[in-house]
Amino acid sequence: MNYIKEKIKDGVNLHLIINNNFKTDLTVFFLTVPLEKETVTKNALIPMVLKSGCQKYPNYKKIVEELEMMYGASFDFGVDKEGDNLILKFYIESINDQFLPEENDNINKAVNILTQVIFNPLADGKFKKEYLEIEKQNLELLIDSQKDNKDAYAFDKCINIMYKDCGFGLSKYGQKEDLKNIDETNLYEHYKKLVNEAKIDLFISGNFDKEKILSEVKSNNLLQSLNDRKENINRNHFKNEIKEKVDVPDEKIEKMEVTQGKLVIGLDILPNDFQDYRFIAIMYNAIFGDGVNSKLFQIVREKESLAYTAKSMYIVRKNNLFIRCGIEIDNYEKTVNLIKKLLDDMKQGKFTDEDIDKAKKYILAGIRAIDAEQDTQIIFLFGQELSKLPLTVEEYKNNINNVTREDIEKFANLIQINTIYFLRN
Amino acid sequence: MQIIENDLIKEKVYIEKLESGITLMCIPKEKAIKKYAICGIGFGSNDNHFIIKNENREVKNPDGVAHFLEHKLFEQENGKNSLDVLFSLGVDANAYTTNDHTAYLFECTDNFYKGLDELLNYVQNPYFTDENVEKEKGIISQEINMYDDEPEWKVYINAMKALYKNNPIRIDVAGSVESINKITKETLYDTYNNFYVPSNIVIVVCGNFKPEEVFQEIKNRLTIKSKIPAKKIEVQEPSQINQKEIHEKMDISIPSFIFAFKVNPKEKEKLKQAIAIEILLEIIIGASSELYEELYKNGEIFEEAVETFEWSKDYAHILIEGKSNNIDEVERKLLKRINELKENGIDEKEFERTKRKIYGNYVREFNEVSQVSQLFILNYFRQINPLEYVENYKIVSKEYTESILKELFKEENMIKSTISPC
Repeated sequence: MNYIKEKIKDGVNLHLIINNNFKTDLTVFFLTVPLEKETVTKNALIPMVLKSGCQKYPNYKKIVEELEMMYGASFDFGVDKEGDNLILKFYIESINDQFLPEENDNINKAVNILTQVIFNPLADGKFKKEYLEIEKQNLELLIDSQKDNKDAYAFDKCINIMYKDCGFGLSKYGQKEDLKNIDETNLYEHYKKLVNEAKIDLFISGNFDKEKILSEVKSNNLLQSLNDRKENINRNHFKNEIKEKVDVPDEKIEKMEVTQGKLVIGLDILPNDFQDYRFIAIMYNAIFGDGVNSKLFQIVREKESLAYTAKSMYIVRKNNLFIRCGIEIDNYEKTVNLIKKLLDDMKQGKFTDEDIDKAKKYILAGIRAIDAEQDTQIIFLFGQELSKLPLTVEEYKNNINNVTREDIEKFANLIQINTIYFLRN
Repeated sequence: MQIIENDLIKEKVYIEKLESGITLMCIPKEKAIKKYAICGIGFGSNDNHFIIKNENREVKNPDGVAHFLEHKLFEQENGKNSLDVLFSLGVDANAYTTNDHTAYLFECTDNFYKGLDELLNYVQNPYFTDENVEKEKGIISQEINMYDDEPEWKVYINAMKALYKNNPIRIDVAGSVESINKITKETLYDTYNNFYVPSNIVIVVCGNFKPEEVFQEIKNRLTIKSKIPAKKIEVQEPSQINQKEIHEKMDISIPSFIFAFKVNPKEKEKLKQAIAIEILLEIIIGASSELYEELYKNGEIFEEAVETFEWSKDYAHILIEGKSNNIDEVERKLLKRINELKENGIDEKEFERTKRKIYGNYVREFNEVSQVSQLFILNYFRQINPLEYVENYKIVSKEYTESILKELFKEENMIKSTISPC
């Protein structure tokens, strides 16, 4: 892989990833803004309205026809939550020219379609009312439908309880009650502000001639007409995410028509004197709950047969770990008690050197595989772009290798249960 | 060794059929970072009623045996679990069960041959005990319950029940909590011994390999003895649908639907027909279709519909899946659109454009070693080779596609499965 980052404007960057092991090219725009209660609904609506049509392709059908002519390029758009930021994403995956029956200049076309859709919308001081009304209705459905995936719903709900009404605790789709006050004029004003202020990153990954793509991007008027901007995003940092000690965790039980109980436990990492414990946290997480050799998988699932899914994850930007299990409803207390015991075992250093070794191998294999998928590669590089302490793949590997048993044991004693959430019938 | 090559997508497959009956395939990808190995067994959830010829014994298994077997095959006599062993090597391993096959796989950047040792060892050496079989029941019950909460799964399995009267595809691959409780170690051994035999086995590898070399490495690890496999007792499935509509309520917010057409499995021109169906589905209700545009504008469909043609040796059906607050209107307009296309024919430009799109979808399947390997496994059991796709693609004409439309998209062959909020 060959990676080049070029500034287009202050706060607007082009990232070129040149590789020759894929059939496809991936062209992606990320627009990053702070995740705030006042703006999240409007921000969530923007990609939906933009994809409905632009000056060059006045409706969605026209955009899709253009993509189909590129031998079935796929178009994806939406919003994602990353710490206390909201990311508006626009993806085109196209087939690399060398696998087509004819030259088609697919990357250049992808960049052009995306810049047209994002920066040259169908608007004249306001968005098209017809499009906005449909998308408001769709967003409302999206907000409602979050409860349809019970597993994801339970996870979101636990986060929401821990971070009430702020940043990370918000739904990435925003709030239903905001919709009635959004109209084609105020949304367009919001859009103009967004385009002027968001951190913008354009990633192009695939097999292409660097100079050719660079000159094409540089001659793209819509990109060149963007203004310089000051950074306005939340670079969440483990040192800023101070967690307070809680004596009794918050426990919430919610009822819905479910067959299986969904258990989510939110954990905090308490303040400490580590310089940088991100890699220790990743190791702890792997030993405790990530992967087949973890305690959760081996004990909650394999030994006690309590669950099919039993896993944990580490959210670096918020200084949390989350445990997720799907269990028989009657086994709630049994499972919670078992998990508490497993957390205590970690505190007492009840894990073997073999556990550490397996966790290292597991994490390192994951790191080596980053370059095996275009999307994973982009997500990794973009993650560094948003980080206060960016690192390379090599640094990542070295840091994992340097984690010791003492580190993990000390770290285990910083973990506290903040919230236990259970969805049952 | 047989070599099949495609110049346009620049891929090659090497195939060797061993004397024992095992088939080996290698798709070399010089620049791939990962290596992938998958062992497919021609035995899936549909093979639940069979006859063991040399013993002249008929067996009717409880539902869910193929999937249960997949879970349990990782157990080793030395007390280890092969999944743990593979992960300990820094290898990512998994397994899955479908209606007509079971597959065991791993992918890695390093330690490929150690991984291969483990994979071929556990697939060839089962170790079931009363205790380890019993223990798995709790885990699989939770897997079944997990799916039970997913509307996408419910609407799908209900569609199968509406389409088929007898074909076991109408039964959940994992079985039910009740049926799996009937499974014993004897069930698993009996099934394993009569289906996990060389003539039912295919091994596919994809990554930076020299085919002769990797084939030799595989052969060095094969110990399984040839045996005549059990014979599945075929069910008689009527060509008509089983029931027109099926409906269920769940605690969800947006109703979801599947409209499905029952198709009689073909012996010839399987791939050609599949390509025509893919094109038709795009033209009928794909993202650039008039129908989708109209439904979307009227707020009658939520997100793009997902269209698939699922087929195997003994079943085939076309699925159109989506979410809507007005499913009846979607149905009415869908049938109207199909009839208009039948009467007026397909627009030439639209046909060519859609054909381009289909080509891209096909090329995309060759992106990653995992996709490529699974594509070859899936199609091996369909008795076709994915590299024949391009030749078939070239000969699919507008006229042929229109004839398939008339033949398959008939209202009397269509069912409706819906899930609505409580």
